[in-house]
Amino acid sequence: MEITKVLPDDCISLIISLTSPRDACRMALLSHAFNSIADSNAVWQMFLPLDYIHIISNSSSPPSLLSLPKKDLYFTLCYHPVLTHNGDMKFQLEKESGKKWYMVGARALSIQWVDTPRHWTWISLPDSRFCRVAKLKNVGRLEIKGKVKLNTLSSNTNYEAYFVFKLVRDRYGFRHTPVELDVSIEGTAAGEMRSVILDPPRNMPQQAKERVDGWLEIEMGEFFNGFENDRTVEFSLREDHDDQPKRGLIVQGIELRPKHKNNR
Amino acid sequence: MSKVDMAVIKPEMMKSYIWLQTADGSIQQVEQEVAMFCPMICHEVIQKGMGSSKNYAISLPQRVNPAMLSLILDYCRFHQVPGRSNKERKSFDEKFIRMDTKRLCELTSAADSLQLKPLVDLTSRALARIIEGKSPEEIREIFHLPDDLTEEEKLEPLKNTTDDPRIRLLNRLYAKKRKELKERQKLKNIEVEEERVDDRSVDDLLSFINGDNGVLIDGFTDEIALLLERIVKFSSVVFASHVSFSTSMPKYLLFPCSHLGEVREFCFADSKGIKNSKSKKKNRRRKDQQKNTSANEAIKNHNKEPNGLNQVCHSAEVGQKVRAGVGATSNLHDVKDDIFDNKNELDDGDIDDEIDPALKEKIDREVEDFARRLNSDWPERMQEILSFGHERKPVHFSLNGNGSLRRYANSEQR
Repeated sequence: MEITKVLPDDCISLIISLTSPRDACRMALLSHAFNSIADSNAVWQMFLPLDYIHIISNSSSPPSLLSLPKKDLYFTLCYHPVLTHNGDMKFQLEKESGKKWYMVGARALSIQWVDTPRHWTWISLPDSRFCRVAKLKNVGRLEIKGKVKLNTLSSNTNYEAYFVFKLVRDRYGFRHTPVELDVSIEGTAAGEMRSVILDPPRNMPQQAKERVDGWLEIEMGEFFNGFENDRTVEFSLREDHDDQPKRGLIVQGIELRPKHKNNR
Repeated sequence: MSKVDMAVIKPEMMKSYIWLQTADGSIQQVEQEVAMFCPMICHEVIQKGMGSSKNYAISLPQRVNPAMLSLILDYCRFHQVPGRSNKERKSFDEKFIRMDTKRLCELTSAADSLQLKPLVDLTSRALARIIEGKSPEEIREIFHLPDDLTEEEKLEPLKNTTDDPRIRLLNRLYAKKRKELKERQKLKNIEVEEERVDDRSVDDLLSFINGDNGVLIDGFTDEIALLLERIVKFSSVVFASHVSFSTSMPKYLLFPCSHLGEVREFCFADSKGIKNSKSKKKNRRRKDQQKNTSANEAIKNHNKEPNGLNQVCHSAEVGQKVRAGVGATSNLHDVKDDIFDNKNELDDGDIDDEIDPALKEKIDREVEDFARRLNSDWPERMQEILSFGHERKPVHFSLNGNGSLRRYANSEQR
């Protein structure tokens, strides 16, 4: 029994669309018949987020993106993030699962004193996808908060939140004083608060990791986005105990990454 | 249909039956409420009045053989009872689909032909679970598939993944444009001769460069150089070399080949604000320009209209050692199209000094955003480029005013 003789094409498309993007790519190599089905729009449309048209139409990308074959569109969105929400958020797809992957830019965060030139300044760095990132000049008390509506994200997904930043050479206040990181869904019990040192001395373990784009990231916490997602998830980074001056932190934003399943 | 309705249709019977006939000729009767769970059967009964007796048995699609029908009816019999809990249904389903792959496929097919979507979903999910994570060889074995793709065809998907998706996007847009232009050209007889000449010189270009990295082209206008320089300033990805503002010296601007299409699209993209203000001048000068500059590509600067010699950068040299091997042929199609495309929109140099400041700011932001986009995926592009491994000598070309090619030696610098 050859499956393509038993099952009509649209049944095979359905079956492939219930696997994963990686499997669908493999299946294009099976046989001639599978090649065209596995690359078809019917399959790849199912891997794109349900509201992909809305996201792309309201983003920085050219509308001609929508006329691409769905498989190409999928990979374009995986490798080339677009700016959405008026340039405030950066959007891409997580390649293995097709889940939504956002970064909330500094402009969309609530950073205390950010609009006071004495404390923070907005600068433009070429290696950030955002127009502007926030650079700390001097504060005694650091507070950065953000929130995102859960229905912006993919449902039934575990997300990890990362604080994406840089430290310039001329910095102080982060070497010995930890900052407190917290992620929680509004209305539920507070998540576990983490205490990390952003700029540890060389002999101490570095908790922040270096990213491919040259920035540093540190995990703030995790949350699960279920199906009833009319709530918001809130993030905060704080240092408000010692009142010592702090300087030299550059904030790109907070990244919300779908958590990778490790069973592939 | 409720019990009441059914009673109205056949008042003399407490339980009604539907007659079904499978492709092999055998006929059976099935409880009405069970059979009606299948949309296809439901349709036959209600719309066509079939199934009420042996003579009027509903002919089932060929994909439904008696064994499959029996399974499907078991499924319907269980699920059509309204009082069952979700847990019960789920439990039934899990046991129900425990069968070999061959039967699962046949069952999917049969359920599909009867339009019984819940069962199709159930069996499809089961089949998806069977094949996910498996290698192509394993899947071929399970489904008895012939290995009938050639080596080339198998490699084809790999090539696509290293191609810049934006270049592929541009190729498609250019293909569309090509079609449009071919239509337009059919209507215009005057330019046909000149266009053929252009064709040939671009073909030369194509054959020389085929498989190579691209070209360097000189002779930017100051305005273009300014715009591109600002991109360079912002972008760490773009390398500028030999850019000179002196009008007596030719200017080169280098871009990584992978971003070539992107740069072009960005630089040449229609800016609606500009277009409106230039439309009057454009119409007046169009005919003159077409003849003079048939071999040149026009560059629509966001700020100003091009002045004098208009040429386009196609360079591909990235540093000295790294070669971008991908996408060369696609770039050449771009060359061809742009020549035709911009011909009609060339405007001669009335430089407009009154640039609306709001527009200027918008353009500034676009330039910045564009440069950022180039930067953001540069690390990945670098990895791809480095992984190609082969050293290729860059071939330098220049498009002269008349469209012919000048070839430079590798080391020639200006």
